[in-house]
Amino acid sequence: MESPALRADLTDPAALASLGHIEVVARWIVDGFLSGLHRSPRKGFSVEFAEFRPYQPGDDLRYVDWKIAARADRWVVKQYEEETNLRATLVLDVSRSMDWRGAPSAQRLTKRAYAEQLVAALALLLLRQRDAVGLIRFDDAIRTSIPPRARTTQWRRIVAALAEPGGGRASDLANALGQAARLVTRRGMMVLVTDLLVDVEAVMPALRGLRAAGHDVTVFHVMDPAERRFTLAGEAQYEDPESALAVPAAGADVRAAYESTVTTVIAEWREALAAMGAGYELVLTDQPYSLALRRAFDVRQRRP
Amino acid sequence: MSFLAPLWLLLGAAAAVPLLLHLLRRNVTARVEFPAARYLQRAEQEHSRSLRLRNLLLMLLRVLLVLAIALAAARPFVAGLGVGHGATALAILLDNSLSTTALEGGAPVFERLRRATRALLLAATPTDRLWLVTADGRLRAGTREALLAEVDAMAPVQGRGDLPLALRRAVAAVQSAALPARVVAVATDAQRTSWTDAARTGIPVTVHAPVAEPPRNRAVVAAGAEPTRWTPRGAISARIDAPDSVGFRVVLGERTIARGAVGRGEPVALRVAPPERGWQAGRVEIEPDDYPADDARHFAVWIGAAPSVSATPSAGPFVSTALGVLAADGRASAGEAVRIASADAVTTLPALILPPADPVRLGAANRELARLGVPWRFAAIDRTPGVARGDRLDGTAVRERYRLVREGAAPSDTLATAGGAPWIVAGLRYVLVGSRLDPAATDLPVRAAFVPWLAEMLGMRLGAPAGDLGAPIFAEPGAPITLPVGAEAIENASGTRRAVGDGTSTAPSERGVWFILAGGRRVGAVVVNAPPEESSLARWRAGELAARLAGRDGRASGTADAWVRDSFAAGTRRPAVTPLLALALALIAAEAIAVRTSRSTVA
Repeated sequence: MESPALRADLTDPAALASLGHIEVVARWIVDGFLSGLHRSPRKGFSVEFAEFRPYQPGDDLRYVDWKIAARADRWVVKQYEEETNLRATLVLDVSRSMDWRGAPSAQRLTKRAYAEQLVAALALLLLRQRDAVGLIRFDDAIRTSIPPRARTTQWRRIVAALAEPGGGRASDLANALGQAARLVTRRGMMVLVTDLLVDVEAVMPALRGLRAAGHDVTVFHVMDPAERRFTLAGEAQYEDPESALAVPAAGADVRAAYESTVTTVIAEWREALAAMGAGYELVLTDQPYSLALRRAFDVRQRRP
Repeated sequence: MSFLAPLWLLLGAAAAVPLLLHLLRRNVTARVEFPAARYLQRAEQEHSRSLRLRNLLLMLLRVLLVLAIALAAARPFVAGLGVGHGATALAILLDNSLSTTALEGGAPVFERLRRATRALLLAATPTDRLWLVTADGRLRAGTREALLAEVDAMAPVQGRGDLPLALRRAVAAVQSAALPARVVAVATDAQRTSWTDAARTGIPVTVHAPVAEPPRNRAVVAAGAEPTRWTPRGAISARIDAPDSVGFRVVLGERTIARGAVGRGEPVALRVAPPERGWQAGRVEIEPDDYPADDARHFAVWIGAAPSVSATPSAGPFVSTALGVLAADGRASAGEAVRIASADAVTTLPALILPPADPVRLGAANRELARLGVPWRFAAIDRTPGVARGDRLDGTAVRERYRLVREGAAPSDTLATAGGAPWIVAGLRYVLVGSRLDPAATDLPVRAAFVPWLAEMLGMRLGAPAGDLGAPIFAEPGAPITLPVGAEAIENASGTRRAVGDGTSTAPSERGVWFILAGGRRVGAVVVNAPPEESSLARWRAGELAARLAGRDGRASGTADAWVRDSFAAGTRRPAVTPLLALALALIAAEAIAVRTSRSTVA
């Protein structure tokens, strides 16, 4: 077992991000995370026919399609795709509000960078579990839509998609969730990674729809620590980059009230999601990824 | 409250900073991107009341903090801190003018003022700086005991003094002291005429003055002989200020020459031809009242034979006619003692000298003036019309005159000018006129003032014995006077003699007539009377006077105890720096608590 101090999933995200590309870093994170688990490999995967290929010496004779051999005098082998009993869709918010951090870049990742790293690690983790993983990126529109697959190339697709642009001036989370529902017709797992700077009422119907379809829904509420504690100082017009909202305030004067309000908002989200059986996890961008991974892993483990 | 460094109060303007920040915070121009602005907006909406109260409280605490620091920097002194009074620079102006000799309740007002002053001095401490100023402007500095001794030995002066001057000196004294508490304490009878000219002091003034109305006063406000030289007849006139009729007595020398009673506003006029000769002292007195200082008024007169005068034909017909008038009135007689002649015809002094009728004689006239020792010469004739200026002669037209040119340094007086140049000059035993006394040259001989002017010249300037002053010197007690050349001493009617020198001297402080002695004989008189204004005992109310002297910093009191308390009230002010700094620290702590409390409350 690796030392906890060397485990990437326990390392400061900003420091980790400076060490390599998202793909590399995600592998470190997942490796580190998995090395901390008492893992029992899952068995009983069902298989599903995918294609034929010519027989090659050494192939298991059980997979030779004898009917074709008898009919065409040609040996072919049935190629099966391993199928998981879970289809997971990662729904990532890439709106402009996610492109923000409350500290210099050397100290903290933007919410979007943190979320992308988290999504990459989650995808890899799930793929290694032989689950099918898909990705939906959205802002004010759907930017990326990758159906869930369990192929080994799926993760690279997802990583490549994470590099695509976003940054729209709104978060149409309801639309994104609707798209996810259309992509995954079977019961599965929906993981939302967003800063939840949306109205609860606008999102709840879509979430209820997902839950009604039998999906497990988990929301990772990504927040910058400055949004949680309002550590900004000074007197200024604080402007929402996605709307025309500008609030004049003095940091020191409103800090306590702000923190109280944010606590209330988090509680409201947690309560609303819990009421429909969805999971909620607050993730601060200065926290290591292990927390979120643990949460997703637990959800996965509850699934058959 | 007073301040040692009041300029630091300007720092108090910084209190506007938190106030403006509080008022203008919605106008901030800095813009910061903050995605969670919706939470901020909701926080302000949900906690608007508590935020407003908290902001208001914090603003108030911060404003108070700045003000406390500014006040502390200005080094204030505040009353009510500590016990007793702090070091005080105290100048006591004790009014000992003549009016304070008026009796109230059987005792002079001055005694009451003296007692109050003693009480004030006894309340002083060794840390105080003390001065005592009297009505004559004399300033004394010293310890409490030394000034108490001065007060005990003090007596009222016989004049009005100069209370505004005394006040200025008192103010200057306390302003010179580097003490935070500076006060001028005035004990006065608040006589209106004494304080009319007093200016605002700019420092605190406490006034102790009688509350009661002044006593009803009867006063001899004027008395004099007319003319001042009797030859030997003359007149005495007096004016008595009384609310009703009053009896009077006129004394010449030691002899009562008249008694009577006058009604309110009636003048006293008395024609006399006394047998006395030489300089005589006289007085007009009334029945005593509660203010005895003005119950008598003195005068002096020279009594003797009328001067014998001769006029040459060169003097002109108008002079001859005027001399006839004077002779008929007994104010001149025919003789050779005084001559009136043109300069080329005069042979001896005393003389009233006129220009020669013929300009050809001008050289001879000037040679005669030189021979007689007259330090003036006739110069070129000037026919420019002009107007004379001088006593009794104002407006007299002058059409032809010889310019008078001074030669020599002998003392002389210019009695009148014409066209801005000397026209009539006088010196020892001569009077020199620049124009002939002819209507063609001047209007003087045809004016009504001509005969009185001529009588005055003969009686005062020319008829008096050599060295005689001619007219008495009138002065207030202690006032500066100029004595004639050769004066050796002054002597009053009771024989009290004081040595003096000629030139500038000081009038005696005792009222009365003081004869000037020169060469063993009386050559003049100094008449010392209190100024008539001292007879008006009308008073300012103490509050009015205090406000007049110090505005809002003026305090008035009718009792000695209150005066003492008021005078040291400024001294009860103590440094307030430490309490203010403590207050500032408390405000800082309160601000921190307010911030923390509101945070926990909101959270």
